[in-house]
Amino acid sequence: MARIAGVNIPTAKRVPIALQYIHGIGPAVADKICEAVKIDATRRVNELSDAEVLAIREYIDANVTVEGDLRREVTMNIKRLMDLGCYRGLRHRRNLPVRGQRTHTNARTRKGPAKAIAGKKK
Amino acid sequence: MARSIWKGPFVDAYVLKKAEAAREANRNEVIKIWSRRSTILPQFVGLTFGVYNGQKHVPVNVTEDMIGQKFGEYSPTRTYYGHAADKKAKRK
Repeated sequence: MARIAGVNIPTAKRVPIALQYIHGIGPAVADKICEAVKIDATRRVNELSDAEVLAIREYIDANVTVEGDLRREVTMNIKRLMDLGCYRGLRHRRNLPVRGQRTHTNARTRKGPAKAIAGKKK
Repeated sequence: MARSIWKGPFVDAYVLKKAEAAREANRNEVIKIWSRRSTILPQFVGLTFGVYNGQKHVPVNVTEDMIGQKFGEYSPTRTYYGHAADKKAKRK
C-alpha cells in the first residue's frame, strides 16, 4: 500500500496510471513526475521501494497542487468571479454555462435534468 | 484566440482621456463611457465608470481584480425575468 498526497492508495497498476487516481494529476503531469524522479513508466506501484515512494511524495508536495488544495483553489476562483459582479460570475450564480454556449437547448450539465413545462406541446 | 501581446491592451482613446481628466480633477464622479470593448487598465483602479448597456450607464467601481477584463463584462445587457410558465407553476 502506497499513500501519496493524503488518501490515495492505488497499487498493482503502472506508476503513471496509479498517480492519476490523485485529483489534480492527469496523464501529462503523471508522466512528468515519473521522469522527474527517474522511475520507469512500465513499473508498478507495488514494485517501488520506500525511498522511491518518498521521492514521488516529495516531488508532488513541492511542485503540484493536488486534492484539497486544488479544490479549494478552484472554488476560490469561482467565488472571486461571483463577488466581482462580472458576466462570468453572474453565469456561475445562475448555474448557467459560463463560456457563451447556447442555452435554448442543451446545457444540461449546468442546468441539471430537464424540467417538464406544463401546457407545452402542440 | 487571445490578442497578441505586442499590440498591448486595447482601450478606446476617449476612455483614456476621460480617465486621465478625472484623475487630475480628483473628483469621484461617474465617468460615462460607451466603450464596452475597452480593457480595464491598472490606472483605472479606484475610479467609477458608467458603462453603457444599451439603455443606461451602469456604475462600475473598478477594483484591482478587474484589471485585464473588459468594461462590458460588468454591465449586463439582458434582463431576464424568468419564463411565464415557471410563474404559473409556482402560483399553483
